[in-house]
Amino acid sequence: MRHRIRLIGAAILAGGISAGIPCPALAQHWPSEPVALAGGRLLFGGDLSATFGSEDPGWFTYTDYETSAIRRIRAGVTIEARATDRVAFLAEIRAETGLGVTPYAWYVRISPLASGLIDIQAGRIPPVFGAFPRRAYPQDNPLIGSPQTYQYLTSVRADAVPATADDLLDMRGRGWLVRYPVGDPTPHNGVATVAAEQWDTGVQVRLGGEVVSGALAYTVGSLSRPRVRNDNSGGQIAGRVAWHPVPAFMIGVSAARGVFVAENVREARPDAPAGHDDQRAIGIDAEASWGRWVVRGEYVANAWRLPPLDAPRIVDPLASRAGYLEARVRLLPRLYAAIRGDIMRFTSIQGSAGPETWEAAVSRLEYGIGFTIRRGLLVKASVLSNWRDGGRVQESHLGAVQLLFWF
Amino acid sequence: MTRRPASLVFRIVSAGAASALAVSLAGGVPAAAADGTIKGTVDVRRSLQATEARPAAAGLGAAPRRPVEFRPAVVYLEKAPGGAFELPEAGRASMDQRDQTFVPHVLAITVGTTVEFPNSDLTFHNVFSLSKTKSFDLGRYSRGKSKSVRFDRPGVVQVFCDIHSHMSAYILVFAHRYFAVTDRAGAFTISGVPPGTYTLAVWHEGDVRETRSVTVSEPGAAIEASFVIR
Repeated sequence: MRHRIRLIGAAILAGGISAGIPCPALAQHWPSEPVALAGGRLLFGGDLSATFGSEDPGWFTYTDYETSAIRRIRAGVTIEARATDRVAFLAEIRAETGLGVTPYAWYVRISPLASGLIDIQAGRIPPVFGAFPRRAYPQDNPLIGSPQTYQYLTSVRADAVPATADDLLDMRGRGWLVRYPVGDPTPHNGVATVAAEQWDTGVQVRLGGEVVSGALAYTVGSLSRPRVRNDNSGGQIAGRVAWHPVPAFMIGVSAARGVFVAENVREARPDAPAGHDDQRAIGIDAEASWGRWVVRGEYVANAWRLPPLDAPRIVDPLASRAGYLEARVRLLPRLYAAIRGDIMRFTSIQGSAGPETWEAAVSRLEYGIGFTIRRGLLVKASVLSNWRDGGRVQESHLGAVQLLFWF
Repeated sequence: MTRRPASLVFRIVSAGAASALAVSLAGGVPAAAADGTIKGTVDVRRSLQATEARPAAAGLGAAPRRPVEFRPAVVYLEKAPGGAFELPEAGRASMDQRDQTFVPHVLAITVGTTVEFPNSDLTFHNVFSLSKTKSFDLGRYSRGKSKSVRFDRPGVVQVFCDIHSHMSAYILVFAHRYFAVTDRAGAFTISGVPPGTYTLAVWHEGDVRETRSVTVSEPGAAIEASFVIR
């Protein structure tokens, strides 16, 4: 009633009422939706992110030797060209400080049934394993860092392997720059358990609908080392089944097994026993949401088998167990808060000095906020606290700010 | 903005029909029988495409193609006569979420109206707006549930779903009752307009596309206006 009285008063004063439709502002548009050409058959999306963070002397946030996830500028363009209603070509091209321009994805998607129950994709395809790698980068990661399973560099390499257990233990907590005597002698970074920054090449088939779906892929690389060209005469089988019983809850189970060690290692040590060259992993992921909350978690049990060469030999698979739990709550229409707890643990091997975990256990707690300036323009700020039981730097507290634009 | 002499654009039509239409104001308030009517059509000839989600390069399969939803225009008086403050009691309106689309795509309401946002889909939706006119976030809720928002300021509110980026809609909140949403044939009628000269505006998909000066010359007069939006 009071509102009506105010309106009446304003109308009397003005001698008329404006419709209140702000005409000039409406004429100004930023792109907030993908650009569609040729009647929607050609579709472009894009994103640009600039991340400014603390120096990371412990290399906790690096995705390779030169690139920290909290200190980089990245631009991406996603293209979908629909040749027919059943056939489309998709590509994603990214440019990143220090890495230049990279074709992240390029593949053909065939949907043979009008019902959409089957899709076949071939080329450099999105990963089937897990949930995190398929989330669109700008919108769906509520924080700045990535889960350690998908980013933290372990001391394992595919193109260079330790001759002894002591060689491996010498590299504990030094995954950003690893050197081994067998294979490529050049120092290089180790691999993350599952590579989220690169995609593998092969064929995948997806079956199912909203409630239950499954996907199976055959690719030339492995989870931690996606490839465009095969370098070990082996491939990987990966699959995932997802169950979405109610809108509020989804659970997925993934598994993968593939040849990991590169051919140059076998060439360097022809005496290496056969069959010790693969990566196996199983994972479970879940997401629950209600009201303004979204909670997600993943757990991945992984193992690499490296050839047992010289004494003290690496007899058992190099196993890791990693999991994270993250939550996001929207506090205001423009503001949310998020937190992620993340741990990675490793099995023990027998070195000359006794048993020790082959890699240093590492944990991270990241918490932050995101503020939407306008649709498609988001600023995030977060704090990443990292702990590790080995390496030169064993504790590190980092801050980062990220500005994201996407359409 | 285009302005043309009213005499070239509009013609007086039968005053008898005007009084019969006068009770069907968008605002729902019966108009005086002596007030005039503005009616006509808006012919949208712009190429409209379905709002697309971002290219799903990270997806394991294709998202279903969606047809272009009906996207009406809204015709309204930029400056309403003094009597326009006689707004009806705060009403209620509804914007459904169905087949991952807001239905209707355009809702025109008066200040004080409460809009319900029911979810008729099997999936969650999360309605939100960051508009200056009204900023809100209804959170995620499932099929069969509804949440509501009261709109207390005039302006344009663009509505989205936080989960489905291809879902969008407009709510136009007016401080007066002299507006109409076009039907599927593009027709509109604004009734109960007192004699006077007004600026008639046509809004479509986020922009005011055209404005014209119109004159309701005498009590009970009905004028006709037609627009083409390219």
